Amino acid sequence: MIQFEDFSFTYTGQHDPALRRVSLDIGEGEYVLVTGPSGGGKSTLCRCLNGLVPHFHGGALSGRVVVDGLDITAHQPREFAARVGMVFQDPENQIIASDVERDIAFGLENLGMPADIIAQRVQESLDMLGIPLLRRAPIDSLSGGEKQKVALAAALAVRPSVLVLDEPTSELDPQSAREFMETVALLHSEGGLTVVLVEHRIERVADYSTRIVVLDGGSVVVDESRRAALQLLLDEPHGVGVPPMVEVARDLRMAGLWSGTTPTEIDEARERFGDIIASGSTERRYERKPTPGPTLIEVQDLHFQYENGRPALQGVTASVRANELLAVMGRNGSGKTTLARHLNGLLKPAHGRVTVKGADTRHASVSSIAGTVGLVFQNPNDHLFADTVEEEIRFTLKHLQIPEDEAGRRVDDVLALLGLEQYRHHYPRGLSGGERQRIALASVVAARPDVLVLDEPTRGLGHELKEELLRFLIGYCDAGRAVVLITHDVETVARHADRVLLLDEGRVVDDGPRRTVLSRSEVFRPEINAIVQGHLRGKKSEAFMTIDDAIEAFI
Amino acid sequence: MNLQFSYRRNGSGIHHLNPFVMPAWVAVILVAAMTVSHPVWLLVVFLSTVPVAYAAGVGRQWRGLMKFVLWMCVAIVVINVLVNQQGSNVLLQAGFRVPLLGVPMMTAEALAFGGAMALRLAAIISAFTLLNLCVHPDDLMRAAIKLRLPYRSVLVTSLSTRFIPVLVADARTISEVQQSRGLSFGSGSLVQRVRNRGALVFPLLSNSLDRAVQVAEAMESRAYGVTVRRTFYRDVPLVREDVAALLVLFGGMALVIIVRTFGFGVYEYYPALGDLFMSPAEWLMLALLSASLLFVVAAGIVRRRRTHDSI
Repeated sequence: MIQFEDFSFTYTGQHDPALRRVSLDIGEGEYVLVTGPSGGGKSTLCRCLNGLVPHFHGGALSGRVVVDGLDITAHQPREFAARVGMVFQDPENQIIASDVERDIAFGLENLGMPADIIAQRVQESLDMLGIPLLRRAPIDSLSGGEKQKVALAAALAVRPSVLVLDEPTSELDPQSAREFMETVALLHSEGGLTVVLVEHRIERVADYSTRIVVLDGGSVVVDESRRAALQLLLDEPHGVGVPPMVEVARDLRMAGLWSGTTPTEIDEARERFGDIIASGSTERRYERKPTPGPTLIEVQDLHFQYENGRPALQGVTASVRANELLAVMGRNGSGKTTLARHLNGLLKPAHGRVTVKGADTRHASVSSIAGTVGLVFQNPNDHLFADTVEEEIRFTLKHLQIPEDEAGRRVDDVLALLGLEQYRHHYPRGLSGGERQRIALASVVAARPDVLVLDEPTRGLGHELKEELLRFLIGYCDAGRAVVLITHDVETVARHADRVLLLDEGRVVDDGPRRTVLSRSEVFRPEINAIVQGHLRGKKSEAFMTIDDAIEAFI
Repeated sequence: MNLQFSYRRNGSGIHHLNPFVMPAWVAVILVAAMTVSHPVWLLVVFLSTVPVAYAAGVGRQWRGLMKFVLWMCVAIVVINVLVNQQGSNVLLQAGFRVPLLGVPMMTAEALAFGGAMALRLAAIISAFTLLNLCVHPDDLMRAAIKLRLPYRSVLVTSLSTRFIPVLVADARTISEVQQSRGLSFGSGSLVQRVRNRGALVFPLLSNSLDRAVQVAEAMESRAYGVTVRRTFYRDVPLVREDVAALLVLFGGMALVIIVRTFGFGVYEYYPALGDLFMSPAEWLMLALLSASLLFVVAAGIVRRRRTHDSI
């Protein structure tokens, strides 16, 4: 169905090729996961599959790509529209019409199909995705998960033979992501679709694929069946984090406690070695146990409602203490970001109180709180506008009226701390996603706020970058400050958070140590914790959260 | 307050009318408001839009915008009174002289003329607001294409209505980001404030460009431009109440032209306020114009019944 023959591509104006001598042969009905570090060439490969490369994104190429019998150099993207369905990362930017059914119909109308056939296809797509009730819904009334389903429905309506998904779950909470992936799996198994899925968080999606391709530096470095690829990635990670169960399988094997085939699905792992882990010790001696310091932010009975009348927060009470890494979790639309905007006074409580070091945010301007509470937003591009990285950081310090010589010292410190020294004079928006994320962070951290609030900072980051960021944040907490991490990333929270605040529909549904909260949650349960379920024999499951827990349990 | 002025489907008959009807209704109001100057005529044209807002079930949104328009009207009247020194009935006069402007004074003529201008503006904004709230932008696009306007231009207009709320949300987020970094948009010297705006404008422009590229990618991937003869999934039919409404509105438009040709609907503001008197024939014509504008309410009621019957 898809053949890459020694294909290389270099974008116009770039020196290094985005893809280097890629050779791949993907058969009809395969489900291939394409993964790799940030900048590895995953998205470029996706864009080759319907001719966006080289027709929309020009550049120099060699070799050949043939998709469903059409050579991509000889055919325009629109000619692939009936054969290749594309779902991109951000659903907002791929929905063209202003309501659901019209958007699903858009591609069919472009193909010149008669109205009765379009009506039939729209209905089929809505039913297939389980969203018939959304048929007439305006796009701006949909959640992120619903928008992504609409984008998928629109891609499927043309009945493509290949479905290409470029990080389709990056904006979704774990449950919405699971629902989305299960829908795709069903389409693959029952409809015989060829699926190419790009995703760097392979713990979310490895279960569903039959084959894994890893791209690093534009080259294919792994191309194996799911099980064999995961095994190879253990020895040579290529910047990709394997699912915890695969690492645990290796460690158990090395410790001589278990031998067998590496599991790739949770049920399989539970059956194979869930009892072995659960039978281990529940004592955890090597974990970070900070002593909570004074309360820096106090939230009391906070209510907030948006202009459309939808209640966003309904009586939230919480606190942020020094030395503590607090994770705020919850499904899409649960109120996490609204709460974050209250912590630095961007939003003022409709009812209740937020105090920052004792001062009520209702009586303070955002700029006056900025030195105490720093907020790093989801999209680093929203932060960046200066000509150089140094100017970007100085901008914050200037507006906080930090004296020039002190500002110079702080710029030097933060550049060194976040490994950005080499980019000091670079244009921030010209750097990679991970680097831009760090610059946005640096522009806030330079103010040395007592509380650092980060909204989804690990989204789009590869495994190694994520670990680096978390090391930095823990160091920040250990210096007597606090970090509030708003995230869907369960495994990161399981490894690093001190406390978890769980929100649902604007209410706090749980607040406590991470082990307690995560082990009680069905939606935000870490993989290792899921594996030991059913084998605990009275033991508390909260002792089994991470790979480190699993190792400590039996060694 | 909810300032949601984009189309929202509701069960009203006006929402179900053919997409040609409301643009025709707006056209009659626009031409009437621009050609007549008599305050009673302008008031009646404006008031004729009110029942339509409530019949369409968008009274709350309409009221929200009209509160804002009211302030605009007050500003128009005040500015006209301050700037326009014509008129013979002086209501107030200052005891000092302003260079170039002379002695500031307020005349009854300037006050009345400002009021009439405000009414004209209110009628036009009200009409366009209702068009926006009651007709789906994609249906408007379809109507424009039937009028042989080029599809690509119409699609760009339709896309802009889809992405304007996204752009507003982006601007709000970027403003919040920069405020969180200690920036205060309202403080500092004028030069400083302009510079500070750069922290909002540059990321917004860059993000919008990125978004535009991604939307274009998605459109290419979805067969945009693959065939010259694009089809349309949903076409709102032109049924008898639509035809009746269009004929009545056509009559209304003809009436406005007749009114203007025969010198009705005209009022002299300067140099002294004229007589507000209107002849019975003029009252009749005004009543007919108002009735033609309100006919869409009746057409909507019939359409609603028909829609219910078909369900």
